[in-house]
Amino acid sequence: MTHILLRHRDIPGIHKLDVYRAHGGYQALQKALSEHTPDEVIQIVRDSSLRGRGGAGFPTGVKWSFIPKAPGDKYVIINTDESETGTFKDRELCEYNPHQVIEGALIAAYAIGAKTVYNYFRGEYMDAAHAFEEALQEAYAAGLIGQNILGSGFSVDFYCHYGAGAYICGEETALIKSLEGELGQPWSKPPFPAIEGLYGKPTVVNNTETLANVPPIIINGADWYKSMGTPQSPGPKIVCMSGHVEKPGNYEVEMGVTYRQLIEMAGGMRGGKKFKALLPSGGSGPVITEKALDAPLTYEGLTPFGSVMGSASVIVMDETVDMVWAAQKMTHFFKHESCGKCTPCREGTFWMEKVLHRIYEGHGSQKDVDTLQSVAQQIKGKTLCALGEFAVSPVLSTLAHFPQEYRAKLAK
Amino acid sequence: MIGPLLKGMYTTLKYALKPPVTIQYPEVKRPVRYRFKGRHELKRYDNGLEKCIGCSLCAAACPADAIFVEAAENTDEERYSPGERYAKTYEINMLRCIFCGFCEDACPTQAIVLEHNYELSFYDRASAIYTKDMLIVDVPINGRPTPQKVEPGSFDRAIPVMEDPK
Amino acid sequence: MSDLVTITIDGVEVNVPKGTLVVDAAKRIGNDIPVFCYHPKMTPVGMCRMCLVEIGLPVRDRATGELLRNPDGTPQINFGRNLQTACTVQVSPGMVVRTNTPFVREGREAIIEFILSSHPLDCPICDKGGECPLQNLTMAHGKGDTRMEFTDKMKLAKHVPLGELIYLDRERCIQCGRCVRFQDEVVDDPVLQFHNRGRSLEIVTMSDPGFDSYWSGNTTDICPVGALTTADFRFGARPWELTPVATLSPHGPAGSNMTFSTRIEAAAGGRTVIKRIMPRQHELVNEIWISDRDRFVHHFADAPERLTQPLLRKNGSLIPVSWDEALEFVAQKLKGFDGTAVAGLSGDRMSNEDFFLFQKLIRQGLKSNHIDLANGRLAGGDVVAQVGVVNDTTYDLPQRLGVGDAVLVVACDLHEEEPVWWLRARQAAKRGATLVTLNARPTRLDREAAFAIHYAPGTAVETIRRLLNAAKVEVEQSDDPIVAAAQALVKANNLTIFYGAEGITYEESDAIARLLGNLLLVKNGGSGHVGRVNNGLIPVWPHNNTQGAWDMGIHPAFEPGYKPVKTPGRNATAVYAGVANGEIRALYLMGADPVGDGLMDGRGQLKLLVVQELFLTQTAALADVVLPAQSWAEREGTFTSGERRVQRYYPAITPVGECRPDWQILAQMGERLGLGKAPFAASLVFRDLAKVVKPYKGMDYRSLAQVAKQWPDVGGEDLYYGGTAYENRSGLGQQWPITPPKEPFAVPDVEVPVPQGLTLMRIAALYTPGTLNRHTKLLAARLAQPTLLLHPQDAYALALQDGEPVTVAVNSGNVQATLRISEDAPVGLALIRAIPYQPGTAVAHITRVAEFASS
Repeated sequence: MTHILLRHRDIPGIHKLDVYRAHGGYQALQKALSEHTPDEVIQIVRDSSLRGRGGAGFPTGVKWSFIPKAPGDKYVIINTDESETGTFKDRELCEYNPHQVIEGALIAAYAIGAKTVYNYFRGEYMDAAHAFEEALQEAYAAGLIGQNILGSGFSVDFYCHYGAGAYICGEETALIKSLEGELGQPWSKPPFPAIEGLYGKPTVVNNTETLANVPPIIINGADWYKSMGTPQSPGPKIVCMSGHVEKPGNYEVEMGVTYRQLIEMAGGMRGGKKFKALLPSGGSGPVITEKALDAPLTYEGLTPFGSVMGSASVIVMDETVDMVWAAQKMTHFFKHESCGKCTPCREGTFWMEKVLHRIYEGHGSQKDVDTLQSVAQQIKGKTLCALGEFAVSPVLSTLAHFPQEYRAKLAK
Repeated sequence: MIGPLLKGMYTTLKYALKPPVTIQYPEVKRPVRYRFKGRHELKRYDNGLEKCIGCSLCAAACPADAIFVEAAENTDEERYSPGERYAKTYEINMLRCIFCGFCEDACPTQAIVLEHNYELSFYDRASAIYTKDMLIVDVPINGRPTPQKVEPGSFDRAIPVMEDPK
Repeated sequence: MSDLVTITIDGVEVNVPKGTLVVDAAKRIGNDIPVFCYHPKMTPVGMCRMCLVEIGLPVRDRATGELLRNPDGTPQINFGRNLQTACTVQVSPGMVVRTNTPFVREGREAIIEFILSSHPLDCPICDKGGECPLQNLTMAHGKGDTRMEFTDKMKLAKHVPLGELIYLDRERCIQCGRCVRFQDEVVDDPVLQFHNRGRSLEIVTMSDPGFDSYWSGNTTDICPVGALTTADFRFGARPWELTPVATLSPHGPAGSNMTFSTRIEAAAGGRTVIKRIMPRQHELVNEIWISDRDRFVHHFADAPERLTQPLLRKNGSLIPVSWDEALEFVAQKLKGFDGTAVAGLSGDRMSNEDFFLFQKLIRQGLKSNHIDLANGRLAGGDVVAQVGVVNDTTYDLPQRLGVGDAVLVVACDLHEEEPVWWLRARQAAKRGATLVTLNARPTRLDREAAFAIHYAPGTAVETIRRLLNAAKVEVEQSDDPIVAAAQALVKANNLTIFYGAEGITYEESDAIARLLGNLLLVKNGGSGHVGRVNNGLIPVWPHNNTQGAWDMGIHPAFEPGYKPVKTPGRNATAVYAGVANGEIRALYLMGADPVGDGLMDGRGQLKLLVVQELFLTQTAALADVVLPAQSWAEREGTFTSGERRVQRYYPAITPVGECRPDWQILAQMGERLGLGKAPFAASLVFRDLAKVVKPYKGMDYRSLAQVAKQWPDVGGEDLYYGGTAYENRSGLGQQWPITPPKEPFAVPDVEVPVPQGLTLMRIAALYTPGTLNRHTKLLAARLAQPTLLLHPQDAYALALQDGEPVTVAVNSGNVQATLRISEDAPVGLALIRAIPYQPGTAVAHITRVAEFASS
């Protein structure tokens, strides 16, 4: 299949501006600027039913339409703080196909009337960020960014910002705080970033992959886009396959493929071992078992199985994996990444990790397992942002699917 | 006439041969029951540090308002008790005390204990006030007197061991 | 009112203004939704999650917008899947809140359990124990049991000094961020920050010296646990052992309401002593905030240096004598002087009762009109009596300055002189009021100012006259900041003016007060700014009761109540001159140290010097008789704030030695001089003065002690909501009414010598070492040191370096100061701080300290 997002796999050297332009690059921007009003751009994206690729799946066009029309400072932020365990799609995009992201962001800026675009990189993504900055400079030199872009009178500045390695800064309000130079902690919404975001101004925060989807939509139209995938979840999706598969890596697929197909695409189970479970969305999505493998990769596909597609970072685990170990690893991650602002997440993740560790080490009792279950339930639904919800999913889902593994570990 | 006289002498003789029921107080003291509530003592840990942390809960619990505590802060140079707080002044007015033992119940460190001393009599009201010096027990054999100079950070908890906080 | 919203909380309907938060609405009907991070004086953040409740909204038909109804006609309510934080959700019509369902109770139990899972539970030694929101809410909403294994608990540092005033216990901290937000949002000193993340999130101080703020003590009040404690009260006593006694600030003119916590101490020999000072809620004065000066500077009351017995000079030295002997001696001596040769000078810290009896003694007892404040800095009390500010009379969310209003601050640095007013001016600006500052140099308030106008030294009167003239004509647009500021001021709905005496002389301040009075009177199409709520003049007096001194006629030209004197007496300057040349033979000083302040050169040719004081000051050491007075903590009385609010304070501690209250000394002296029987209580003196002093008519100790319910209800017993600030149960005081003038004030022409070349101006510092500050050892390191601020250009011209010690000639002689090169000083104006007050400006004589030059 021809890649729509991972175009560098078809066209070598597309990270260079001339190659990108030779293959139709920046024509979407040209088209948007010359043929469409900002409102029309928003309408096209809305019609395409493009949904946020960061995991929450909020319709992008709707998000853009929330931005007040009144003149004033507005911002577009590209969220490349890709810190979810097992996710590496935005990195590849920024490193090998950066102009598509830039073009998408420029179209977004045009659509909402922003004069400034920030790309917030995860602190560890130095290589990707450098490649992206090179592309930016090329684009600046070619007059694609800066004053009076392509003679349209539309002007935008583009900056890269490097995070300091905090998972929570992938949450849009925490990202904004971090970008402002403060501690990366989310705030309680409202106010929504669309009204009071960066420096108190209307702000759109979009995932890198989401924005990479925008140029093809503008060129080919909403109907073309909707012809891919399912009606609820149209378009292509990059899936990050990792874990016990033969060929881990990014795979661009149309939405709607099943998880079983994904594993096959990645070369099947490593060493022919038996499949045990998979994490559909890195650490933040509840684990699914064999039963759910035929569910489609869509935003709703895993709902019957109590899980979510999320950012589609699929971590596959074979029969050798100790699920208590996996839950402990995940919980350690969330304890380490909790920002500490709200009580249930700060105290709860700390507590869960202590208890899980005790169980994993073989010193636990049935009381510990009960406590673990109840603490996880206690965190759920009480936290300020979604991190608390994510943090309990590995614990609750492993407790639900693999209670026998916990029982086996209890102190005799 | 002679009959009652003999009866009296018989009684005297009978008791003269029995062991005495009185004791020679104060030379001889009768032991008290194990749970007898006599004069308070302020206890120490084995290392000599005072158990009392100056929290005033005994004073708060005292129904007779007999206890008065003034606290101060420990340093590692001059340490009286574990943790940050110790009793700089500790006074019990024995004329007010009703020996109910509420102070013992209130004490979070088992520092104050109603012991077996019941010899409390005074010539004036002022001497009925027992100060900390009078209440605190002697330093145990392996302990050091307070204030102690200790290794910084070695006694940073006021309630040193609290395995089960319930 | 149309902007009221009705919501239902647990079946009870409540009407609250639009924009009210659910937690505040619930408070109105006595439904205490527990909170830790929320504070009614700060914007909500919703991070502790303690206030989780069920919030439901009426369901509307998507198409028609009609309310959907249940079969029984009641509106359908949609409760979300999750609990919501009551502190971040604003009320909306038809909202239904449930705070007592199993779902909510379970949520509260969960949050309490989480918080306690990392809390050390060392309540027995914790200073907050007994007045701790966490304790109370645990008792009310906790499970009474924990499943946390003790060994799993976090161990953290328990002794972290954030500077020498405030200590942090990291284990007790529940990361509610109240302190961080208070420092940032309320007082604009963002010196506390969160550091790290997750369970390692901790409070750190970002300043050097640590926790560098004049407001640090307030964080201990609002801390919902014992994480922040003051060094002053650390382990001092348990809260339940303390007796609260209402008092007032003995420092600033705002009349901050405070509460002493006292108890009997064995260490103090069985005396009742002050253990701590806490704020007392007064929404119109200091809300619930007090500066660190108000909180920590109380040790002078118990200082060992206090005078304890009357002293009489015998054979050249001061000998302790009995009160009778001292009083009799003074009375007999005073009788021997003619009225024209006797003068009385007073400090401005005394109570109204003291002032009243003092002027009575001098005027009626000694037939002298030579009466004044010993160190008068600021004039205009008579102007304030006519155009002073008018306070709101409601305490239920009182009207505050905001959008459409204006604040003008003239010739003062509110942050250093009266932090409570600085806070008020700043908050008004934050709410949208136009703030105009007018000074010879930049001050901290300039940050919030719409117009920050800096005039050349010596041109204050001229500048304000220009401002007044510009206000009289209507101008649409102007590039001249003075004209633009004048237009903004005169067009404002409400206008409050603060004026002080920085860099101006007493005569200038008189002219400035009159000019500002005229500015308030300018109508220019509007209704003027006199006599309406939040309009008028506030003098930034140097001390707590300078206003009372003016009201009570401690002035050569005014009798009590601003009644003009037929033949005005000498003012303080003329008295000092008379002392030197022999025209004044006897001087009665109350609470003043003119020799120490460099105003009076020794005893001069005085035959009799009587000093009534707390300490053996330089002046007292020269006196014939020294009468020991009680400090404000030992006695009762009234102070009048710069806003003319008469307030009571109450006796709290055991009097020191044989000290007597000033009014009593004066009354007993008066009795010996034929002024009738001495009143035996301060309340009787006040009754007498209220008969004579017109504006005080109708006031008595009972009316001054009246209280009202205040909102937001942050001073109540429910510590969780507002902190440990005390409820005001002892009196809100009364503001005396102004008599608006019939015509504009006549402004005298003032001759101001404008110094040529580099000019020297004294600026204020809150912790200027003085009689009172010096006795608080805790503040020793923070006391302001004499510092000379020079603009880089001037420093370059003089070839001086930053940090260099220099000698500066000031009124009271040469002082050695440290030079700081700073752009806070305008070009050509050298600023010197932490020296005794000196009026106006002078030519700067700066010399390098010799040792430094040679080294």
